Amino acid sequence: MAERATPISNRRTVWGVVLATCLAVSAFCLIYPVYVIRPFRHQGVREFAAALLVLRFRQPVDVLCVLVTVAAAVLYWRNRPRLLARIAAIAGTIGVIAFSALSRVNIYELMFHPLGQPAFLAASNSKLDGDEHVIAVKIGGAARAYPIRSISYHHIVNDVVGGVPIVATY
Amino acid sequence: MWGRELDGIRFTFHLAGINNQNFLMRDEETGTYWQQITGRAVSGPLAGKTLPFVPSDELTFALWKAEEPQGMVLKDVAAYASEYSPKDWDVRMRKAPTVLSYARPGLAPRDVMFGIEAFGAARAFPAVAVSQKKLVLDHVGGEPVMLVVGPDDQSVRAFRVRLAGAAGPIDFYRVLPASPPGSPAPGAALMIDSATGSKWDFSGCAIEGPRKGACLEHVRTIRDYWFDWRHYHPDTTVFGIAHQ
Repeated sequence: MAERATPISNRRTVWGVVLATCLAVSAFCLIYPVYVIRPFRHQGVREFAAALLVLRFRQPVDVLCVLVTVAAAVLYWRNRPRLLARIAAIAGTIGVIAFSALSRVNIYELMFHPLGQPAFLAASNSKLDGDEHVIAVKIGGAARAYPIRSISYHHIVNDVVGGVPIVATY
Repeated sequence: MWGRELDGIRFTFHLAGINNQNFLMRDEETGTYWQQITGRAVSGPLAGKTLPFVPSDELTFALWKAEEPQGMVLKDVAAYASEYSPKDWDVRMRKAPTVLSYARPGLAPRDVMFGIEAFGAARAFPAVAVSQKKLVLDHVGGEPVMLVVGPDDQSVRAFRVRLAGAAGPIDFYRVLPASPPGSPAPGAALMIDSATGSKWDFSGCAIEGPRKGACLEHVRTIRDYWFDWRHYHPDTTVFGIAHQ
């Protein structure tokens, strides 16, 4: 039979809803940008802009979610929910923390490790095949070549050539 | 290829996403997101700014080494070298799906083009045509432009065909390089111009004849898939293909 709604169960509901909302928000912040901005998927202009906004603001949003979740979970717990509900509250809190932590992971740099500090070989010492393609740059008399085979993987090389800071991209 | 200093800030870029087959990068210093293909900031504190352009060439290593014997080559990172693309990756990529098509009679999405955006216009030159003809004289935005295949039979450069003091159009002809392909001799004569009979090398400079010492202006050309070039240059024309 349905219980009469008591002040305690009302408070439980409120904190439960808060917790569930934080879980949904942190999950959205994690999943939406990766869903929109992925290879082999056409991106419309508006959804792309929206995904970038989420990317830019999700860290502070996540911090807020974690704090609110922990507070909500504690307050929920204090209102003596049943065992299953307690387990759900713990799972929800862990979920928010996990989504927030995962949001700090750059999955693109996991897939394509960044080059970091570039190192160079004199042309005469390089074992590259003659017919390998390179992107060649000459600045201030300094000539550099970036083999396409490696920069098509790393995608980005932060470098300084002839005193000019450049980013080689492919 | 972009400069990474703007308004006194030196950026350190990180890969931040893939956007319609090109990628997004984010700078550590301001958290702004930049588009790789245009160098433009699309979101963040510096949105709307554009990175300074740095000209570059795509060449075979052998040709580059012959031109720049003192040059430096990026080293492989040993830990990840096994993940680098195999040599024939662009052959395999031809079969990969595309999210955008722009297919037309005679133009498949992954057909390789040499794209030129200059003088207020954009024009795409199918790589197959350029490789066959070895030297293409054409116009982009009303300016006479030449694409020429280098002595290695693979590298391609584009030049603006303007010679001081020459009235009227000038033809260039590619000559067979003296050395066999695969051993490009730096500074070997590659082209002759019809106006003066001077001989020019692959860097666009005259090495013999009345024009000796003069150099043609380089025009930037990028090697790109048709669908990608067309996506970023909706008004592009295509060499060898008539338009409705």
